[in-house]
Amino acid sequence: MRRTSDEARLAPAAGSGRDRETGRTRAQAMRAAIAGGVLVGAGALAGGWMGAEPTAGRASRTQDVQILNFLLVLEELQIAFYAAALRGGALSGDLLRFARTVSPQEREHAGLLRKLLGDDARPAPRFGVEQSASHAATFQADAIDLEETIAAAYIGQGASLTRGAMRDAARIVAVEARQAAWIRDIAGADPAPRAADPARSADDISSDLRRRGFIR
Amino acid sequence: MTGGTVLRLEDVDRDEALLETIAALHGDTRADFLRKAVLGSAGMLALLGAPPSASAAMSATDLDILNFGLRFERLQASFYTEAESMGVVGKMAPRKQEWARTLGAHERAHVRIVKEILGDRAGPRPFFDFHGVTESEDSFTRTAVAMEDLTVALLTGITPRMRDRALVAALFGLLTTEARHAAWARSIVRTTPAANAFDEPRSLDGVHALLGRTRFIVSAPRVRRRRRAPRMTG
Repeated sequence: MRRTSDEARLAPAAGSGRDRETGRTRAQAMRAAIAGGVLVGAGALAGGWMGAEPTAGRASRTQDVQILNFLLVLEELQIAFYAAALRGGALSGDLLRFARTVSPQEREHAGLLRKLLGDDARPAPRFGVEQSASHAATFQADAIDLEETIAAAYIGQGASLTRGAMRDAARIVAVEARQAAWIRDIAGADPAPRAADPARSADDISSDLRRRGFIR
Repeated sequence: MTGGTVLRLEDVDRDEALLETIAALHGDTRADFLRKAVLGSAGMLALLGAPPSASAAMSATDLDILNFGLRFERLQASFYTEAESMGVVGKMAPRKQEWARTLGAHERAHVRIVKEILGDRAGPRPFFDFHGVTESEDSFTRTAVAMEDLTVALLTGITPRMRDRALVAALFGLLTTEARHAAWARSIVRTTPAANAFDEPRSLDGVHALLGRTRFIVSAPRVRRRRRAPRMTG
């Protein structure tokens, strides 16, 4: 089945279960790794217990393009979400200050990703954010979700990037995590609920955001 | 590093220090905790043929960077632990106590995790002298804010420098936790938790120099000087 450009953009090599470069399945790659004396973690074999493993395959410009385009969709989704919330006028106090501060930060993140991608940047898909952004309560809950999602996406993909892109991913993900902690604090939730943050696979994130109508 | 194999922090939590911390902090039921732990051990059983520690194959660069990271995590863990044992944390407002205790528990878990990764190549525990900053709420809080922001800058710098991509993946999950700590600390002192669009890295040398100026790490254990008895006169 031929994928639309949006689907292709939302599905980097991660989670396909097949190493795109060698055509091996992930299980084969893992067995090879064990035979080669590489320590494989319990979590990876326990399958989904702690989240998915980052993208398989050797770092390359081709893989960077897939990953950075995926992360760009998430940054663009956040931009659309905060823009709708600021347009809607339902926010006040801490929530308004939060949205006004992080909105331009997300635009800078997207700008940097587009710069890294150059001509390989793909256009944004359509987003469904108006409904969620029109009430303070839904805005707050969804802002937490989106910030957590994007932090987990960078954690999942960061190690698979080439070194230059990885340096920029580190500069961005730290800010995404700060934003996640900030909005959780505003909501009265624990800003740092874990001693180490887990990754989420691109497939998991993409299907979740589609199911919830954030990405159409 | 063989492509497709990724070591994450959870993966090296072999003595379940991290799970214990999470369970203790966040009220996982005992059953829930055990269920997860069993899954973890089942995975470990499949790996008996694997080397016991990643350190055997670790590059000199990674080893040096991680050992520096260990010193830094130990510094942080000692800082929070000392403030708790001095009773400073116990006198804070409830929300602030939760903050200080959570950060302390996380830093102690980080020490155990990094030690586990390094195995027998972990450096010795240094001695610390916080020169009284853990003894008052105000100086403790201000130092915590600075230290958490510095940790973020350190991890932003060293994470992409690790050669082993499995370790890079692990450090990404630590970097975000430290960034949450920094944001939370800034919120406690009512400054903007995320002030800039990017967190800029600091070099290892830069952090080393900064730490040197604090004189928090000392070559010999801190000995509390006895107050000199008043000299007898007459």
